[in-house]
Parts: sequence; structure tokens; C-alpha cells
Amino acid sequence: NQNAPSGCLNHLQCKNLHEYLKELSPEILDRLYNHPATCLAVYRELPPLAKNYVMRMLFLDQPLPQAAVALWVKKDSEKDHDQCVSVLSGLRLWHSQQLQGGLQGNILNPVFKDNLRIALLGGGKSWADQGDSLGPDRHARDVESLDKYALERWEVVLHFMVGCPSAAVSQDLSQLLIQAGLMRTEAGDAPCITSAGFQFLLLDTASQLWYFTLQYLNTAQTRGMDLVEILSFLFQLSFSTLGRDYSVEGMSESLLTFLQHLREFGLVFQRKRKSRRYYPTRLAITLSAGVSANSSSTAMGAAPGTGDSGFIVVETNYRLYAYTNSELQIALVALFSECLYRFPNVVVAQVTRESVQQAIANGITAQQPFGTKPTPTYSLCVSQNPVLPPTITDQIRLWELERDRLQFSEGVLYNQFLSQADFEVLRDRAQGLGCLVWQNVAHRVIVVSPQGHGEVKRFWKRQKSHT
Amino acid sequence: MVNVLKGVLVECDPAMKQFLLYLNETSALGKKFIIQDLGDTHVFILAEVVHILQERVGELMDQNSFPITQK
Repeated sequence: NQNAPSGCLNHLQCKNLHEYLKELSPEILDRLYNHPATCLAVYRELPPLAKNYVMRMLFLDQPLPQAAVALWVKKDSEKDHDQCVSVLSGLRLWHSQQLQGGLQGNILNPVFKDNLRIALLGGGKSWADQGDSLGPDRHARDVESLDKYALERWEVVLHFMVGCPSAAVSQDLSQLLIQAGLMRTEAGDAPCITSAGFQFLLLDTASQLWYFTLQYLNTAQTRGMDLVEILSFLFQLSFSTLGRDYSVEGMSESLLTFLQHLREFGLVFQRKRKSRRYYPTRLAITLSAGVSANSSSTAMGAAPGTGDSGFIVVETNYRLYAYTNSELQIALVALFSECLYRFPNVVVAQVTRESVQQAIANGITAQQPFGTKPTPTYSLCVSQNPVLPPTITDQIRLWELERDRLQFSEGVLYNQFLSQADFEVLRDRAQGLGCLVWQNVAHRVIVVSPQGHGEVKRFWKRQKSHT
Repeated sequence: MVNVLKGVLVECDPAMKQFLLYLNETSALGKKFIIQDLGDTHVFILAEVVHILQERVGELMDQNSFPITQK
């Protein structure tokens, strides 16, 4: 019976594109902006005012005085202007330069400027090789089957996370999931889902994809892949046309490996590993729109594997009825409750002490199963705030607290002080160092943390030798 | 001279503390593990019994819970 680290509810941070880019180093950013597709993707995500600024400066070759830029907004929109400035500087889209008159001016990043011009006006290298050179594809896939394929593949990944035995993924992918903190593996056992993983499962598809891609990019360096190449390829993909095939001509080794990984996530479709052409799926195209896109995500997220959305009813006798057919949703429910009966369109389960404590031992907190879940998969009955009987929520919370009746903290006990003054001196010193865990003034006892103990001991010895 | 002792500080509610005292009295964990009783809600115990203690508390909780449902 292992003690799961209770209370470490690390909220899943889903960064959007800009936040991710801001974290990259300047050299990588500059190399990234060498590709017109990237510039266009970044431009698309800017706030409207920033887009306006960029457009105005796009065809200027000299820096513009900052005072002039400040004049572009009305007096009461100062805040927007400042926010805009910080966004543009954060992404290194512009920098300041001294003008001849000694004033500070702003000029667009030249690399970005040139490539955005290319993106908007045409010219430069073609972004992706159309598949025309290979002739018409005998096994062409239409948009519908591409969608189905993408959904299937992504579902397999999710099923694997939940622990369905039928879902099998490659070693690489499970490694990636573990590194992303979504699953963890005990020595030799199959990986099992973590608290963060559970939160991940409750996100909508677009956010899931984006989070996953970010994790992948983070580990790209360690696999010896070039971050810039991969990112540029991703942006390129996001501008491709759905239903059109593209050829793999001219792609480097690491890009080909990346393509295979994408194939596994369902972002591209390739008939065989050695196929010369690939089809991007809808998932890839909505990818770089990331967390902010809502309209396209409902098309994807609405029905993973079913065709309708299910819903859940929870009764005060701890029974749970899940009206769904989707394996994934059933597996999610089974994570924290005991399934009793299964019918073609309903699953009846019971929330019991054992099942809840099991779930908690696996790292899921009491909030999660019934927290605010605006996922499109669970529709009206549980839409914004699930209509849960307070008895159930309270009981789940109590079951969780049962494990926390004792709180342990390591420490060193100091007692039997000879005088009140001695006690106070040592106590104040410990407090000053921030390592005082507990004190009892009446009995003159203090408990100090082990880290602080060394310092306090030295201090005490010095005191003794003085007096 | 100040007395210095190494161990683990336990914070709990008074009811739980009585349970700890009981375990200590009967040496249910094999030996006496409470170094110092620090008040209504705190006890200072030996570091090595932490794990077993948690298990014992779990067992106590299990004994006191009754399945409210029938299958």
C-alpha cells in the first residue's frame, strides 16, 4: 500500500504557441523565422493590434521612432499598446535600434520581415512538394477516411493511457508518455496513468494534441532531432490542404522519423512505412491553431469513437449510470468506480470506498472525476457543473482525507532548556533561518527541520562558548 | 544542557493521538516508538516506524468502515 503524494495537484499547463516560442533561445527563433510557413503561423496568432503594427512596418526598411509608433493608438488604449509591445519583443519580432537623431526606434526582425513578405506575396521555395510528380495515387484516401483514421489512431493512444489491454503502442510512444509525466512505470510493470495523465484525458482533443506535441518537441533535442526542422515541418503541415497528398522527396532522416511518429499519433496518413506520399489529416492542420481554436475542435472532440456524446448520472446511493458506448469513456469511469453491469448503451457502476481509494492511490485527486468538465464528450447532464448530490462529493472527499489523518514531518527535537532566555534565543534563531517546525513555549520545546539542524547546532555551540 | 533528539514529528487530531498512545502502550509495532508526547495534537516518534504506522492506521480505518451497498 504505497502512499501516493497527496495534495500535489499539479495543474496541467497547456502553453499556447507564443508561450512556447518565447521560451526558445534567440538563435533557434531566428533560425525558425527563416521559413515562411513559421512566420505566417506566428503572425496568425498575434493579437489584432500587433498584427496591425507588423503590417504597417512590413515594407519599411528603416526603423520607425518609438514615439511615432506610440501615436498609432489613442490615449486611452495605452495598455493595449504596451501589451502589444511586450508580445512583439518577447517573440523577437522587432527590436529597438538607435536612429540617426538619437531617438529610439523600432524595426522588424529582418529575417522575419523577409519571410513574412514571401509568405504573403509568394515566391521563395515551395513549401511542400505536391504529390503531382508521383502521378495520381491508386490508393487515394478521401477526407472522411482520413478523419476516421486520425480519430482511430488518437483513440488508441488514449486507450493505452487508460490501460485497455487491446491498445498497443510502440515503445517510443510509451517512452514519450512517461517522459511527459502522463504515465509512470514501476520497475518492470506496465505503465499506469498519473494524476496529470487523468487531467490530460479530460481535455478536448485540440488541447491534448498540442500538449502532446509540445512534450515531443521538448524531448526532440535528446533524440538528436533538429528542433527547427521539426517545427518548420509542423507549420508547413498546418498549411497543407486536407485530402491532398504530399511527397516525401527531399526530407532528411530525422524528418522521416518524425513523420513516422506523426503517423502513429494520427497526424498524417501513410499507406505503408516506405510510401512515397503522405496525407496530412485534420488533426495536423488544426494543430498549430493550438489551444485557442474552438470551432474546429468540436468537430473532432464531439465523438471520439461514438457518434453521439454520452452523459453520466450519479445517484445518492452511490450508483453511477454512464450512457455511452465509447470504450475510452467507460475505461475512464472504471478508473474510480466499480463497474457492475454493462448494457449496449449503459454502464452501471458503483462508487465505493475501495475504488475511490484505489484511484487516489494512483494519483487521481478527489476533485478530478467530478471537477468542472467542459469537455464536449460529456453533454448536458454534466455540462458545466455536474449535478452531483452533495453526499457523494462530501463522501469522496472524506475518503480521500482518511488517508491523511497523520501528517509526518522529519525533525529534531530540542527540549530541557535550562532557562527561558536560552529557549527564546534558540527559537528565534531557528525561526530566523526558517527551519522552525513546531514549538511549545510552555514546555520549552522546539522542533527544527533536519536541514536547519546543522546550522542551529553550530549556533548553539557558539552561544554556549560565549556564556 | 539542551537535549537533542532526532525523529519524526506527527500531527494529528486528538482521537488519532489516543490511538497512537494505545499502539505504544501495547508495543503493537514491536517496540515503544513514542519518544515524546508533545500535547493534544503532536507526538514525536522514531523515524523507522512511519511506514508501519501508516499501515496500522489504514487497517483501523478499514475496520471501522462498513460497505453500505449490496452487490
